[in-house]
Amino acid sequence: MELFKPEFGLAFWMFIAFLCLFGILAKWAWPFIIKSMEERADLIDKGVAYAQEAKSHLDNAKAEADKLIAEARNEQADILREAAKMRNELIEKAHSEAADEAKKVTEAAQVSLEQARKEAEKQLRTQVGDLALQIAEKVIRRNIANDDAQRALVDQYLSEVEAKN
Amino acid sequence: MKKAITAIIAVVIIALMAMGYADTAAHRAHSGAETEVDPQEIIFEHLGDAYGWEVPFNHSKRIPLPIIVRAQDGSWHAFMSSNLEGGAQYNGFQIAKGGDYNNKVVQILPDGSQYRPLDLSITKNVAGIFIAALLVLIMVFKVRNWYKKNGMKAPRRFTAALELVVDFVYTDTIRPIMGKEAPKYGPYLLTVFFFILTMNLLGLIVIFPGGANLTGNLAVTAVLAVITFLVTNLTGTKHYWKEMFWPDVPTALKCPVPLMQVIELFGIFTKPIALMIRLFANMMGGHMVVIVFMLLIFIFGSMFGTAVGGAMTPLSVALSLFMLLLDVLVSFIQAYVFTILSTMFISMAHVHEHAE
Repeated sequence: MELFKPEFGLAFWMFIAFLCLFGILAKWAWPFIIKSMEERADLIDKGVAYAQEAKSHLDNAKAEADKLIAEARNEQADILREAAKMRNELIEKAHSEAADEAKKVTEAAQVSLEQARKEAEKQLRTQVGDLALQIAEKVIRRNIANDDAQRALVDQYLSEVEAKN
Repeated sequence: MKKAITAIIAVVIIALMAMGYADTAAHRAHSGAETEVDPQEIIFEHLGDAYGWEVPFNHSKRIPLPIIVRAQDGSWHAFMSSNLEGGAQYNGFQIAKGGDYNNKVVQILPDGSQYRPLDLSITKNVAGIFIAALLVLIMVFKVRNWYKKNGMKAPRRFTAALELVVDFVYTDTIRPIMGKEAPKYGPYLLTVFFFILTMNLLGLIVIFPGGANLTGNLAVTAVLAVITFLVTNLTGTKHYWKEMFWPDVPTALKCPVPLMQVIELFGIFTKPIALMIRLFANMMGGHMVVIVFMLLIFIFGSMFGTAVGGAMTPLSVALSLFMLLLDVLVSFIQAYVFTILSTMFISMAHVHEHAE
């Protein structure tokens, strides 16, 4: 059976051809192809990991933004509340201050009124005294004439004084 | 469009059949008698080697190939195979018919006896090997150049298909088995894979660049197996040889009678022989079955008449087409099996001390 008898010539050329092929490919082709393929696999893996990370970042960012907004709202409400409180306090304070001032003014007015009254009373007293002295003078000037007439005169002067005041 | 293509293919097939019929008819008219078809001869002619390369639709014309022989007196002779066509003698050389050296170049000595010279001819198979090697070179450099030029971009079309196969063989097979030694032995194993795959597939193409039954030839698979054998045993670690000659088994199994040693030593040689036979038998068997299915037409024709032979044609063609398609699958599988087994043999020779 010639099929089962290996030919030396064929084996020889096969060996040569294989060695040449292997030499060329092992030197210039395979290491480069393997390296490039592995590099690309790494690159793709990295890309996928990066994309996943970016996605999770994005998801987180949304949550974070929501959180920030909620916080801002809370703060806003706090500030508003505080402002309202402050306003009320201010108003209250103003009220009380105004009331105090008014009281003081009133008191001062009363004091001055009192003083005026006292002064008026004093004046009145001196005037009354003066008048009384004038009346007495007049009475004394006329006492020779009529007792009754004198009395009537005093009355008259007194009522004059009363009318004056 | 599809219909047009189908129609064209049908016309071509019918034209080929008509040509074949005319050819046979002319042949019969010329020889005057119906020549008996010898299936065995046809099978061996198709599976074996030859000094010229057949061209389609012609039984006598051959593409001439160089013959390189060393005569008995030690002188080298080189000439084209066309000089020996039809049994002609040239410089005392002739292609023997029958006898020990059937279909081989022999030197006719002065006393009339045949001498088989040292034959380094570029036969059909050798030329086929060169073509396959060249194709592998072109394909692999196509992938390499893609990376050189386009860097990290993904390849397209044929380059992408090649890259897929490289990835499948290297990343999914060699690397898991070899581990960190993969970059060192990857180039050898990838070369083996692509060379075998290309030779297998070329063998399935009927006309010129293909048609040589390369991996169905024992010499070709033997060379591949021997190389794997050499790589395995020359790079084997100390531990590998220790396991061989003083394995971890009860002393009775290895001391007075070296039972384990004999088995292990036997194993060294059976592994590459199994590699050689497996590839050879698978590819040769596939080719043989395809031819036998085609020859059924003629066998039935000569047994039951031409009409039966003709009626067999569709079935024969369908069966051999099926076998050819199966052989495409087998081509890939056998190349892969050879590669994965080589990988495992090499990695098994690189055992280190068992981790205690």
